[in-house]
Amino acid sequence: MSTETPGASTDAPIRVLLAKPTHDCHDRGVRLVARRFRDAGFEVIFTNFLLTEEIVNTAIEEDVDVIGVSVSAGGHMPIFEDLLSGLHSNGLDDVMILGGGVIPHDDERTLKAMGVAAIFGPGTSAEDARNLIVQKFGGTVEA
Amino acid sequence: MFDEPTLTSSQKQAAIRDEQYERMLNRFGNSAPPSAHAPQTHSGLPIKTAYFPHDVEGLDFEQIGAPGQYPFTRGNLAAQYQLMNWANQPVIGYGLPEDTRTRMDMLSARGMTGYFGQKFYNLVYDLVSHEGIDPDHSSARGRIGQCGMAVYSKADMARLFDGMDLTKMNVVHITYYQVIPALAQYIALAEEQGLTPDQLRGNSMNWYHQSAYVGMSAFPPASAQKLAVELINYCAQKMPRWNTTNLFGYGVEEAGGTAIQEIGLMLAYGIDLMRAVEASGLKADEALPRFGFQIAQANDFFEEICKIRALRRIWATAMYERFGAEDPRSMHVRIHTHTSGACLTAQQPLVNLIRTTLHAFGAALSGVQAMEVSAYDEALSIPTEESATLALRVQQVIQEESNITAVSDPLAGSYYVEALTDQIAAAALELVDRVEAEGGYVAAQQKGWIRREVEASADRWRDMVNSGERRVVGLNCYQDDEGEVAEPNIFKVDPNVEALAVERIEELRTSRDAARFDKAMGAFREVAEDFAKKECKDLGSCELMETAIEAARAEASTGEMMGVLKDALGWRAPHEY
Repeated sequence: MSTETPGASTDAPIRVLLAKPTHDCHDRGVRLVARRFRDAGFEVIFTNFLLTEEIVNTAIEEDVDVIGVSVSAGGHMPIFEDLLSGLHSNGLDDVMILGGGVIPHDDERTLKAMGVAAIFGPGTSAEDARNLIVQKFGGTVEA
Repeated sequence: MFDEPTLTSSQKQAAIRDEQYERMLNRFGNSAPPSAHAPQTHSGLPIKTAYFPHDVEGLDFEQIGAPGQYPFTRGNLAAQYQLMNWANQPVIGYGLPEDTRTRMDMLSARGMTGYFGQKFYNLVYDLVSHEGIDPDHSSARGRIGQCGMAVYSKADMARLFDGMDLTKMNVVHITYYQVIPALAQYIALAEEQGLTPDQLRGNSMNWYHQSAYVGMSAFPPASAQKLAVELINYCAQKMPRWNTTNLFGYGVEEAGGTAIQEIGLMLAYGIDLMRAVEASGLKADEALPRFGFQIAQANDFFEEICKIRALRRIWATAMYERFGAEDPRSMHVRIHTHTSGACLTAQQPLVNLIRTTLHAFGAALSGVQAMEVSAYDEALSIPTEESATLALRVQQVIQEESNITAVSDPLAGSYYVEALTDQIAAAALELVDRVEAEGGYVAAQQKGWIRREVEASADRWRDMVNSGERRVVGLNCYQDDEGEVAEPNIFKVDPNVEALAVERIEELRTSRDAARFDKAMGAFREVAEDFAKKECKDLGSCELMETAIEAARAEASTGEMMGVLKDALGWRAPHEY
């Protein structure tokens, strides 16, 4: 069954870059999200990164619509700070930024004020994230 | 195990009971949950709704045996906790070495006790160290002292253990792939205290095999296997009291694996590793007595207990039959339980205390040697002082108040427990056969086979939680109303830690004897490049460990030593191998 989303404008699949810091062993969640996004018809690029500029470079090369960064071992604030400024200086302000992992509520508030669209912490589902993306970019979701 | 009249009566009584059960089930009709029709363990093994003597009549009593007797289903030793409780091994590590030391001393003062009443410290290194870089690396910001201690050199270790007698304690170094640099630095520190490596007690993790199921950057699997064998050889020669290898079953569970996958994959790895160890010239009894396990204790109470009993049986049998182990210690499964972090919720965090208590209680009933009980705020942050203390108290309440410590393997003989132990053992051995058919653990890892198996289980779990078939209190049932949730007190690492750690590494680089450092690092690099070309059968001379120790004496940092190993062996995200 597939659901037509109002405002769907293009048949090109939504392109999502999912990234995890190399040091962070907790990748069960983000890899599951990657599989669920592929099931939903998204084009998913999954990568580990050491430096935040690697995410920016991949985002440019792959022309992505969405970047999701999962951090479950702390150190998320500098990553998002560098990512947002890196994207901005490359003129990629339209890219939707999502966060996931173990991110305390007060950091979540700061990140949202900085321009992160949403944080998907423990207990949220891949489907919530998928729906948010579809809401913004339209398109068809295999359900 | 039972005589004929008993078995006949067992069948008869079971038939009556089953008929009554069916009648009740029918009365419930559609309102009966699916588990009432076809109950399963969390691994998906089919189980019955009641067990009888005839359910275990096919079991060989020799496979159950006695505590302390081969195949050790019922425990490694005749005594379980009567003479000595399991060791309290909370994981400790955050901030600067001095911060970690404060937490070590605090928990020690609150009764954290190791084997024979000795000090026991289970110390985790930070993300910068895990990555094999130094704090002045451009990617280190935000990661210094996070999820572990900012310890990168012999000098940092001196700060950590300031004034302590290293011979009077047991230190577990929780590293990922920086295991050789960390051990080298610890040995170099001990030498400064006038000690020799053979006087040290503790653990290295040596758990390169986890890159089969977790995604951190890693050495190529075959090279990693050689690094593991190198450390085992060095310790066999120089550190007889050091535990060389930890089989990281916990990571399988955390990655979404089932109880069966956890123990099956660890046995498959143990078999592959022992083949490599034998090729290097060591006999089973020279290596195996210093192996240990970190095993999860998750939600299915009986399956998790039976998992441990089954692991003891299949490990002992495999090491005896395949590798000719004779020393009982070579066949023992020494377990550090880590209560499952993946089972904890960010929602209603105090409820996690109840979960961890059940996990710890199950681990105690199955007779494990040491325990880390997760703190209730683990899904939110590094544990606070309060939550870390409560986690220790969970262990202490079970140890001191429940009287379960009076009897070894108290659940033995339960029809259900024995039948399920046998069922899990068979399922795990079947998985071992499948790994062997792929060419063994390392070959299966290289094909991504292990990762796919574990991720299929992670998907299954998620589907069950989404559908409500697997209930999680506070998450998909009994949720708090929106807005009602008080945000708990969150632990944060002191922001000054970063600047201080960077200052220290810069100071180390300028103050050390440059000539000695260059010479030691040159030798280490040369040996590492040579090591890259070797096969397991060429190992045994331990030059890599020896030159690493000399580099550590010369104040080499973790990042510098790991840089050498990465250059020589390769270093990538596991899914790119």
